Amino acid sequence: METPEQTVMERAEHGTAPPPDAELPQARTFEVKNLSIWYGEKRAIDNVTLDVVSNAVTAIIGPSGCGKSTFLRALNRMHELTPKTRMQGTVLLHGENLYSGTVDPAIVRRRVGMVFQKSNPFPTMTIGENVVVGLRLNGVRNQKLLNERLEKSLRMAALWDEVKDDLHKPGTSLSGGQQQRLCIARALAVEPEVILMDEPCSALDPIATAKIEELIYELKARYTIVTVTHNMQQAGRVSDYTAFFYLGRLIEFGPTTRIFTNPTEKQTEDYITGRFG
Amino acid sequence: MIAPKHILGTFDEALASLRNNVLMMSSLTERSLERAMKGLFDRDDDLCANAIADDEEIDQLEIQIDKDGVAILLRFQPVASDLRRVVSAMKLSSNLERMADQATTIARRARKLNQHPPLAEVELMRPLYEQAMSMFKDSVDAFVREDVDLGCGVVARDEKLDDLTHSASRKLIDRMAQDPDQLRGYLNLIFVSRCLERVGDHATNIAEDAVYAAAAEDIRHQTVAATT
Repeated sequence: METPEQTVMERAEHGTAPPPDAELPQARTFEVKNLSIWYGEKRAIDNVTLDVVSNAVTAIIGPSGCGKSTFLRALNRMHELTPKTRMQGTVLLHGENLYSGTVDPAIVRRRVGMVFQKSNPFPTMTIGENVVVGLRLNGVRNQKLLNERLEKSLRMAALWDEVKDDLHKPGTSLSGGQQQRLCIARALAVEPEVILMDEPCSALDPIATAKIEELIYELKARYTIVTVTHNMQQAGRVSDYTAFFYLGRLIEFGPTTRIFTNPTEKQTEDYITGRFG
Repeated sequence: MIAPKHILGTFDEALASLRNNVLMMSSLTERSLERAMKGLFDRDDDLCANAIADDEEIDQLEIQIDKDGVAILLRFQPVASDLRRVVSAMKLSSNLERMADQATTIARRARKLNQHPPLAEVELMRPLYEQAMSMFKDSVDAFVREDVDLGCGVVARDEKLDDLTHSASRKLIDRMAQDPDQLRGYLNLIFVSRCLERVGDHATNIAEDAVYAAAAEDIRHQTVAATT
């Protein structure tokens, strides 16, 4: 009879699960099976199977156009906002099929929050309003609850001490790094189960980047985080697992330390060592 | 297998320069050991002096390799096989420098021995020297060719060198009791045998680093079944 350990080991051999040297068993937040996504005729994701471990940071790396952002967006159905999109396969969030006909995409996006490459606070809103806008849109009117969630989210985003006296000022009055942490606080306010980050530091200076990286490290105790990055060193610093995508395919997936010291696949080695091209 | 070139040509140049310096350092170390041992066997003080003089250049190369290695880590932030090669090269240079120190010590002991009538027991050093040198050459070859099997084989051969050293030491101690007039000479030969044993230890370290560079496998501090 097949044991759960055997199943994971067998899947590890095919690069679809953390290999056996990872601590087992571990809870999975996402189980992605045979996922393919097309934009019109173009296939952006090609038959990807990948498990996302809970309370860990998974980094997705790969050259531009390899499908990493599409894969990230498929985890909260954000890619559906692009016209002429079609998908095949399954994405399970804690065992529940995100693409089942009965699932509301808006609920999915509340459960799976997202932070984008460029910070995007709502320009007409104050810092405080930016943080709780998601709750208000979900019908929360209790001011005490809103205030509590505002402080909690800003504290978790390591921004509270810097803005607590300026909550009435516009969100856009903050620096780039602070704006990005404000967006993280906005994502946290609706208490998601997962946070997706699409190159969250690519527009930030080294100090702001360090603060976000520190924040990612702290947040993984409570959240599952999936981040897309072009920065190899950042992937090495912040992530527990790394997935390498190329031409829409998952080439290799495993613990970050192994991927960056001894990748199994030649394509991974060539990419991370700068030999592509 | 030859790895394809990096997109960044300067990275390839920096790695090649590091590798060339390691190869240069290993050649000089080999030459220094050969000169020291030939100086001992042939009672040639000039060769001993040359072996001692080689040490300065080897020390400078160690400094250069460390400097270049740190510069590569800083400038190119290597990962995967590149990272392993840089780390191993830096560790290799440290082992080579210590080997060259052993060559210097052997040369100094040889010069002392050469001041006295020849001892037949000098020949006891020959099997040790052959074993240590073959381990040394193979360990550097394992690094250059990224040959895991060759590297593992070197590690397994260290035990034989240890046995040869102990056997030679026992014979020399016996000779001390039989011929106390030559006590100082036998003692110098025991020191030479210890130096050769240390050369084998450094060759083992180099072989272990070669295996790590080639296959990301850490084989240090493991019991390796003798394969030779």
